Amino acid sequence: MKDIHAQKMHDPSRRALLAAGLTLPFAVPRLARAATAAGADRRILVIFEMSGGNDGLNTVVPYADDTYYRLRPNIGIRRDRLRTLDDRHGLNPGMTGFERLYKDGRLAIVHGCGYDQPSFSHFASMAYWHTAAPNSGEETGWVGRLADVLRPGGEAGTLVNIATSQTLAVRSRRHVPVVFDDPERFVRQARFEERELIERVQPPPEDGNAARRYLYEVAAGARETSRQVRDACARYRTPVDYGLLPLDLQKVAALIDADLPARVYYVGYRNNAFDTHVHQVDQHQRLLTYVSDAISGFLRDVERIGRADDVVLMAFSEFGRRPSENANLGTDHGTAGPMFIAGKPVRGGQYGDPVDLGRRAADDNLHHTTDFRRVYATLAEGWLGVKSEGAVLRGRFEPFALF
Amino acid sequence: MAPFNRRAARICILALLLGPWAATAQGQAPGALTRDGVDDLRPIDEAQWNAQRAAHLFERAGFGASPRDIERALADGARATVARLVRPQGVVDPGAVAFEPSGIPDAGIDPFPEGRPQATDAAKARGEAIGVQVKPGGNRRAQPVVDKFFFWLRVSALECNRIAYWWANRMLATERPLVEKIALFWHGHFATHEDKVRDHRKMLQQVELLQRQGLGNFRDLLIAVAQDPAMLAFLDAGVNVKGAPNENFAREILEMFTMGVGQYGERDIREAARAFTGWNFQGTRFRFDADKHDDGLKTVFGREGRYDGVQMIDLILEQPATADYIAGRLYRFFVREELAPATARHLGAVLRDHRYELAPLLETIFLSRDFYSAPSIGTHIKGPVELLVSTYRRLGLASVPGLPDFNETTRALGQHLLHPPTVAGWAQGRAWITPGLLIERGNFVRDLMFPDFMAVANDRYPLITVGAEVRSVHERISRGLDVTAATKPEETMSAGEGMSQANRTLDREEDFNTRYGSYRGWQKAVEIIKPIPRTLARVDLSAIVLAGNARTTADAVDLLARRFFSVPPGRADRQAWTAFLTGEFGTDRIDRAQTYMEDGLRLVLHLMLSSPDYQLG
Repeated sequence: MKDIHAQKMHDPSRRALLAAGLTLPFAVPRLARAATAAGADRRILVIFEMSGGNDGLNTVVPYADDTYYRLRPNIGIRRDRLRTLDDRHGLNPGMTGFERLYKDGRLAIVHGCGYDQPSFSHFASMAYWHTAAPNSGEETGWVGRLADVLRPGGEAGTLVNIATSQTLAVRSRRHVPVVFDDPERFVRQARFEERELIERVQPPPEDGNAARRYLYEVAAGARETSRQVRDACARYRTPVDYGLLPLDLQKVAALIDADLPARVYYVGYRNNAFDTHVHQVDQHQRLLTYVSDAISGFLRDVERIGRADDVVLMAFSEFGRRPSENANLGTDHGTAGPMFIAGKPVRGGQYGDPVDLGRRAADDNLHHTTDFRRVYATLAEGWLGVKSEGAVLRGRFEPFALF
Repeated sequence: MAPFNRRAARICILALLLGPWAATAQGQAPGALTRDGVDDLRPIDEAQWNAQRAAHLFERAGFGASPRDIERALADGARATVARLVRPQGVVDPGAVAFEPSGIPDAGIDPFPEGRPQATDAAKARGEAIGVQVKPGGNRRAQPVVDKFFFWLRVSALECNRIAYWWANRMLATERPLVEKIALFWHGHFATHEDKVRDHRKMLQQVELLQRQGLGNFRDLLIAVAQDPAMLAFLDAGVNVKGAPNENFAREILEMFTMGVGQYGERDIREAARAFTGWNFQGTRFRFDADKHDDGLKTVFGREGRYDGVQMIDLILEQPATADYIAGRLYRFFVREELAPATARHLGAVLRDHRYELAPLLETIFLSRDFYSAPSIGTHIKGPVELLVSTYRRLGLASVPGLPDFNETTRALGQHLLHPPTVAGWAQGRAWITPGLLIERGNFVRDLMFPDFMAVANDRYPLITVGAEVRSVHERISRGLDVTAATKPEETMSAGEGMSQANRTLDREEDFNTRYGSYRGWQKAVEIIKPIPRTLARVDLSAIVLAGNARTTADAVDLLARRFFSVPPGRADRQAWTAFLTGEFGTDRIDRAQTYMEDGLRLVLHLMLSSPDYQLG
């Protein structure tokens, strides 16, 4: 036991141990987990992206404000249908999972998150949230920079991005994120006789071809992590119900359970799902149900495997939507929206000032009350213990006392 | 014998022609690519035209060169070859076959409701929806409407998979490769997703439009795309009406299609949206609703007028940023990521000076010294569609194999045709490659060399998305259970309290059963849709190696490397592959191994095409 503990302090040998352990289902990983003392290094951040621009006002509904119902005569959600949080706000009726988390004190809602000079383009605004640098040409993602600070050595497997292609948020200077979608396909299939050669990667040729060098580097990293991910997901069994769409969070639980070295996981509801321009009421509620079921299921599952104290999840969208409904019972692209931070370590409640529906900009949009980077700073400093100003975020953003 | 000999002779010629290939590429000083010709847009001399450059041209302007392409390119010269690509009107193309529709009935489908709730609400209100009447009595009176709703979703998705196959076959067989290549570019540029359009007819029309007009005039193309029903449906144009402008359509036209982010103000978008009010579609046709068009004064780019949609497009085309943006997008797709500002302006001027005719711009690009400079060659990370089609071309296949499935493979690799991930289309270059996707690319080659024939005919079986649910309903209905029992969600964890809300609230309607409708819709769709032929690739690597006169395993590896790679693989890799092949053959002599060498060759080709170098084009 003592030897195992000592090895875990060193990353390379820890990975070797992990790889060995993964070939012996159940026995070794459980040992490894028992051998690891609770410490800062075990803290994990999961980021959940809701792509398309989530309608914040129909997610956390300001039911006490008549303006809300005046702006949304058809799509406003009646008070008696809401899951009431307090005397001002209620959650969308679809969000039983979030309601339970909130009542358990494990869900923080940060009101009115946005940024100055907002873009109403999915593409541009998402890029701003990904880079944490609105209206700039920043090339790396804030999660990528966070990983650069957390693990400056660029250790393989620090960042996991479950998606069909790599998101800008995890683009890093020092790390090649582990990006996969279907774990079953995350393996080189080969005949027995090819085994030795198929995994071999030569050093990159020194010919000045940058694309070629990149391919060689990715190939080398792929070999190392693919087996870990695949084995972990294939082995994982859970009795916990994640709802109709687990939204990749079950895979995250599997990797956490297998003790992968990842510190940040990036997943999401894909394909602009929240872009509810038309007839949004049923559709939006359904989307929120899936999200709320999957996230609350995930956190229950994390608790089941004994890692509740180590895992925090943050959910966001690239913008909110207009406070006024449009002519098609939907909403158009807007500005501020709520962010959610959930998990056992979180001090649940509401943070930041709610948006003022009565004071809208000339284009009818809300003014944001919280710069979204304050939440990023909260996660970097309060949760992962990393200074955010400078390397992660440009400038100083005051964290919330959320942990 | 005769056809084989002709083919053999061609391959021999190719091998000879490509002789300098390895030497040129390997003879460079290590550490840096020569910058000769970079950003030089003057045309290359005919004297500099050779097989390597022709191969590069066909790699980028098409889907890789066949031996015959190279022969003819060398005989014709650079200018004639590029002209044939960019102005292919006179080229006879037996590969340009029309799509064969499944013959899906569409009576009553238009206008298709936004969602199931709108379909059933309409059915309740009018006693009829999507061409189906509500039953006058009995249980689940609106069920036929729900069945038809899901039937249409399913046939559209399945027919779109057939459309993608048809398109891929055109890419493979075409004599006008740039027509298909630029259609692929425009498909990413004017990204439209089947899931939102939900209509195979509109998606087919759009692909045909991009094939027909992709090399023509950009203004004509832009107007055609902006009036294309698939695009209008995709960008919610139908709800952009006078008094309630919806900005989605105008925003994408400015940001994605013409000018790029940051070249216009939010006010320009709002005013442009007004100019496009009333643009709509009816079924598969463009329709202008004059009474929904806002013909008031609009102020866009500092100018004022009663602009309509076409005038708005002309205003956009007058903006200097537009030609630069379009030319830059084309350059980055066909040449390389890095584009010097001066070169971008120069290319934009070519497009503007030719009134947005695309052929002169493409001719400038494909003849330029820049296009043939070292940083442009072998530095492009192939997209998934390029990877598959060019692999098939290099194998000499006559059609896209039914296995591995083209759609499943390209989706796994991140480029499912008719399903671009966002309105921005597909990110190019390095975004194609992650550890997982690199592995997936190797697995594709394995599936090609050693197909998983257990997967035959499973494509229309409900394996994906809601598949598990549909299968379980099917099993229970088949056992004679009633609809309620058959569609009851299967319990996962603890019944009641631990169960998620989504699982508790579905299917409580009394007039119809959504889950049953989804099941029946799927079943009827599979009945209608023509199957995709599940032919396997008839790969004959032995013939390639024999025709290339390889004597040793080292020759065979070199021959395959030349045929398949755009950058020469390193010495260590080639040695390892040769040793592997010798081990498989039990000899390094091809003549000794020729009666049994196919499997060994397929294994080594799998190893080779799994390497990082094969991803470059």
